[in-house]
Amino acid sequence: MSDNHDKFHFNAEHIFIKLFILTAAEIAWGYMAKDWGRLLLWGGLISCATWKALLIATYFMHLKFEGWIVKTLIIPTPFLVLVIFGYVIPDVANREGHMIHPIGAQYDPTTGVVVRDLAASEGVEQEPASGGTDGGH
Amino acid sequence: MSQTIAAFDPAVDAPAHHHPVYDYDSGPPVARGKFAIWLFLATEIMFFSGLIGAYVVLRTGAGSWPNPEERLAVPITALNTFILITSSWLMVRALLASKTGDRTAVLKWLGATIIGGAVFVGIQVYEYFELIHHGNFPNGDIFWSTFYTMTGFHGTHVIVGLIWLIAVWFATWRGHYTKENNLGIELAGLYWHFVDLVWVLLFTVVYLF
Repeated sequence: MSDNHDKFHFNAEHIFIKLFILTAAEIAWGYMAKDWGRLLLWGGLISCATWKALLIATYFMHLKFEGWIVKTLIIPTPFLVLVIFGYVIPDVANREGHMIHPIGAQYDPTTGVVVRDLAASEGVEQEPASGGTDGGH
Repeated sequence: MSQTIAAFDPAVDAPAHHHPVYDYDSGPPVARGKFAIWLFLATEIMFFSGLIGAYVVLRTGAGSWPNPEERLAVPITALNTFILITSSWLMVRALLASKTGDRTAVLKWLGATIIGGAVFVGIQVYEYFELIHHGNFPNGDIFWSTFYTMTGFHGTHVIVGLIWLIAVWFATWRGHYTKENNLGIELAGLYWHFVDLVWVLLFTVVYLF
């Protein structure tokens, strides 16, 4: 059975061109905005990527034309994704030398104080081995 | 609402199963295959969200992070992104052709979609080969382990999608799908577009951030 096919009316070429332009703009932004600060760089990239993902889901995957049951299945997932990111925010937000429990460390759960930094005590190099720049922070 | 159970009819119902027969449609108000694929895609969204979430924590928790531009071939992967997006559009054309019952056009568009996907995988394999050839193994550091995990899982999905599309191509060639019955093409297309959607996000996060 092929249901709802008659309802899937959209201009595929129009969406395709939009995706192409957005991808080109995103790549250009990735190079241009490197020195403009993280907020501008990441904000522009996330906006482009989100816009493209929405175009693909809405039109190519026909989500716009689907009935309530498909929408009910898929629409909660972005909110569940936000829960995941919300769950890891404490680590992300405390990265400026104030991480609650750095990767590779043991900490006292009652005080949150790091009692043993495994990476440091075992001589494991925490910084990227080579070719590393502080591009991420 | 009347929901009576009809009497068991051995001429209609498979005796081995003995499932109840309803006089109404007990399924969801959408094709069961489509319901199933969207449910599957919802779980896939959560799977990739877990990977990206772990990447975000590891990256922000690291003392510093290498500039992806200095480690990865961004231009060639950008080209690969355009190829996958084009392949997704070709899949849309294949489904549209199937609605008109033009089997030759479906085969042509599906074939082009498969070629696009195969080129994507080929370029990714080449990228992996070059990286490993230069000593960049998955256990090199946290950058490489997250890179290989995320792009590797996505690449696996692309390969699965390719196998599915090839099966659909042969089914079309044998005349399995018609103008009225093309759900199989649509389901494979949904998976393929999802793979494209995930790559759009991964490319941004892994290569451009």
